[in-house]
Amino acid sequence: MATGYAPSSMYRSREGMGIWEHKGKVAAVGVGHSPTERRWDERPETSVGAWSIMALRNAIADAGVEPDQIDGIVIVPETTTGAFWPDDKPLPQDVINAFVQTDDPLDGVAKLSVEWLLKNMPELTNINYSVYAPVCMSNALNVAAQAVGDGLAHTVLVLKAWHNLEGRYYQGGQNAQDAIGGTSAIRSLWGAPACYGTALQFAEYCRKYGKDHDMMTPFIINSRRNGLMFPEGYWAQHRPEELTPEDYQLARWIAKPANLFDNDIPIMCAASYLFTTAERAKDMKQKPVYVLNHVDSDAVPRGLTPTLDEVEAECALTGRKIYEGAGITAADLSFENMYDGFTQFHQFHLEGLGYRGIGFGDALDFYQTDISIEGPNPVSPSGGNIGSGRSRFWMHTDSIQQLQGRAGGRQITGVNAEIGVSGGPMPLGGNYTVWSATPD
Amino acid sequence: MERDTRLKHIVLIKWKNNLTILISFDIDGTMEIGDPAGAVTLEMVKTARAKGIITGSCSDRPMSAQRAIWEEYGVEYDFVCYKHLLSDLKTQFEVEEYYHVGDRDDLDRKYAIQAGFGFFWPDEAAASPLLL
Repeated sequence: MATGYAPSSMYRSREGMGIWEHKGKVAAVGVGHSPTERRWDERPETSVGAWSIMALRNAIADAGVEPDQIDGIVIVPETTTGAFWPDDKPLPQDVINAFVQTDDPLDGVAKLSVEWLLKNMPELTNINYSVYAPVCMSNALNVAAQAVGDGLAHTVLVLKAWHNLEGRYYQGGQNAQDAIGGTSAIRSLWGAPACYGTALQFAEYCRKYGKDHDMMTPFIINSRRNGLMFPEGYWAQHRPEELTPEDYQLARWIAKPANLFDNDIPIMCAASYLFTTAERAKDMKQKPVYVLNHVDSDAVPRGLTPTLDEVEAECALTGRKIYEGAGITAADLSFENMYDGFTQFHQFHLEGLGYRGIGFGDALDFYQTDISIEGPNPVSPSGGNIGSGRSRFWMHTDSIQQLQGRAGGRQITGVNAEIGVSGGPMPLGGNYTVWSATPD
Repeated sequence: MERDTRLKHIVLIKWKNNLTILISFDIDGTMEIGDPAGAVTLEMVKTARAKGIITGSCSDRPMSAQRAIWEEYGVEYDFVCYKHLLSDLKTQFEVEEYYHVGDRDDLDRKYAIQAGFGFFWPDEAAASPLLL
């Protein structure tokens, strides 16, 4: 079974498509996570492949289904954005030999394929649909929802995993080469850090609306607080450190006005969800969380870095598409779990949604109000990447758990958890899912 | 944040003795308790303190977390701060020699040089008579 990337026809990228044809007919039921670690210790049992298998099995068990009931799998084959196996480093042969291998020796070590997973999960005997989604869990969720809705499979595992190697992030791969091709040659010429484009947008945002970086403080503190109540997350598991205003405001600039704590920490982890039809979900172990809509942002900026105007226009468009396809309005959202890794994405997403009636330029003032899980306006109850490390999937796990009523210490209490939205990463270039406790 | 406000938060315990050396320790990649672990042990820090050397940490870890680390391991400290604020730290302690120990050329060594600190790599510090 050859696996390819999902076709563009599976994504809902345009405004005016109407209510999603499968609204309320697809549900997430099971959630499975691996542990987290800062970096790989190069043992087989902690490899990205092993942890992916663990997350998948945990999701299956959580949903209470037998492995042979699963007929589809959607995974993200890329397992890093900046930790590449060095060309001059010997292959980890003992790790490779510990698994059934494909033709690619780094499969299960620094990348993933469906073929590798199926070779190492013999219990998945009935997979007849598989597809890749690029880069993020957010994208894979869109694909899985559409696949189940379209009847390509009825019970689907979705997987995203991350490896992290010793050494510094973003220092390897093409950044370690003498030459870089394409537009990266221009973008990377001056060695700008990954967050610089967002920092530029945020600087313009502050100038345009008369705000400042310190106004981000309540969001940061809230995100870390929520993250420390996320037992699956890195900070909760390894370094349960709260952040104070001084901790945040005095930290060094990475790309001013984005400082160290506006960036997320690269980690190793894996997460999986089990998607199925609303009908089948009724008989599974956990409460179904229904998908009301999924949305894709495929905007291309005019230049190398999107301008603030482009960011605001695209976030507003994304918000309209989210509501249109779900048949809801901003007033229907119980909570939002939009992306935050870099933190300065979040206010753009929030304003695009018009969450709690805010408009462009309002988010930092909104952050000065009660945005906690106990209040009427919960912001990022997952804590996001800032609260739990770089995964880009905490927001989805939290949304599902909130609506299932099993978010533990993070459970929102100021409002009833009825409808939530999660997604990202970039304002231009992201994927979003609208979740609901009920199918309609 | 303005510099005076920064200073208020950086320094916990003002220097009040006739000590002449200050050593600032990075944590991750430098101390045995760092992630990754480094060559400098907590015993070495205690030894330095027993010699009357002013010690503390200058790391990228949150300052509140730095305090918590020293307290968790029962090691007294005179300051915590961020490594890019070494020059601010220097104004708070009037001593003869300032050193920073760290593992990153582009952060620890750079900021140490900018602030007029001497600099040790972790393995150099671990072999220094100041800590033995």
